[in-house]
Amino acid sequence: MRSLIDFLRKYLYWLVFLVLETISLVTLFHAGGYQESAYLTTANTVVGSVYSFTSSVASYLDLQTVNCQLEADNEELRKRVGALEGKLLDMGTDSADISRIVPPEYKFVSAHVVNATLHRNNNLITIDKGEADGIRPEMGVVCSRGVVGVVYLTSAHYSVVIPLLNLSSKVSCRLRGSEHFGTMQWRRGAVDISYVAGVPRHAKVKRGEMVETNGFSDIFPPGIPIGRVADFGDSADGMSYMLRVHLFTDFKTLRNVSVITNYSKPERRELEYKADSLMMN
Amino acid sequence: MSNSFIFRLFRLIILLVVQVLILNHLHLLGYATPLIIGYMLTCFRSGTSRISLLLWGFVTGVLFDMFTNTSGIGAASCTLLAMIQPSLLQLFIPRDAPDEFEPTLANMGPGRFFSYILIAMFVLHSAFYFLDAFSLSDWLLTLVAVFGGSVLSAVIILFVELLTRRRIR
Repeated sequence: MRSLIDFLRKYLYWLVFLVLETISLVTLFHAGGYQESAYLTTANTVVGSVYSFTSSVASYLDLQTVNCQLEADNEELRKRVGALEGKLLDMGTDSADISRIVPPEYKFVSAHVVNATLHRNNNLITIDKGEADGIRPEMGVVCSRGVVGVVYLTSAHYSVVIPLLNLSSKVSCRLRGSEHFGTMQWRRGAVDISYVAGVPRHAKVKRGEMVETNGFSDIFPPGIPIGRVADFGDSADGMSYMLRVHLFTDFKTLRNVSVITNYSKPERRELEYKADSLMMN
Repeated sequence: MSNSFIFRLFRLIILLVVQVLILNHLHLLGYATPLIIGYMLTCFRSGTSRISLLLWGFVTGVLFDMFTNTSGIGAASCTLLAMIQPSLLQLFIPRDAPDEFEPTLANMGPGRFFSYILIAMFVLHSAFYFLDAFSLSDWLLTLVAVFGGSVLSAVIILFVELLTRRRIR
């Protein structure tokens, strides 16, 4: 008996080791649905405020890049205003159809990126707005250039976003001006390139064509730009095209983003969920 | 006891700040990020209670995870390093060393110290990056991250030792 206790005392650390490793690995492999453990991520208030502080300091360092980007954005917007005003004039007084061109009113909550990773398999972005500002998981996040990602976890004042640069990010998209759609999925490597699979082979794809959201999911409204086709070829199964897309959003200098808060429709999601579960039975 | 506890806590906080605010933004060859946080665990002297060492490892890893959104990966790899640290240190202790041997540059000499740190960092980085790339076939990138990260962190730790411990002893 005595020697048994001695033995246990001597090798207790093995037990401690196994317990700690088990806890770690369980956390790792359950990370997919860890809504309840948001406090173990950068959505945690303490961690979030540390990052907001450092990012507020660091944001001064690349003001120049941000300014250049804003100027370019302004230029682009001015051009578009000009073009649209021209169109408006062309249409004359009888412009009853104008409401079809102008997108409906979406509500945006603007936020700052306080932390972002770019070089991991599953990159995440932390922003400084949370539930208190009306942000909930599954809302779309965009910036002035185009799509950024989808809200994943929220706490009172911070949210974690799954950007396009995440192996588990899937965004339904289409080529501008056509109804051919595909699914955008990132591959590890470049931070400005993503891939669209499932575009049918009879679609007329051209280099430089714009890829935008198609509004099939209830996360993004249709027509938000994502990127331009850089290249295209056959997908692995040879049944469809695989597009290599140059993303508009520059994740390396991303600071200001907006979350679309009123597009998501619980009613629609409920209905689709119901249909899914009925099909299962 | 409480004195060394506070000292370790202080060291943990400093390392965590350096890791999270500086080194996490460093990507050698695109992917290799050095995990200096493992220095926390290689500093423990021989004869430390293995259970307390494991707990320090786990806490270090969990804190690292909280700042980098790597749920569980850091905790698992730091705990692994804490587990093998005593056996690894045994290999590098000179024969005439006291029972409570502190693994510092001054105590071990540059050759032994660097090999000790390099192997420890290699274990930590292998565990971290292979767990991170678990479902991925991209072995080459993972190997780049493991080797690049280990060598870079070992060099950084060597410099830290040179700068901070020169005047002691």
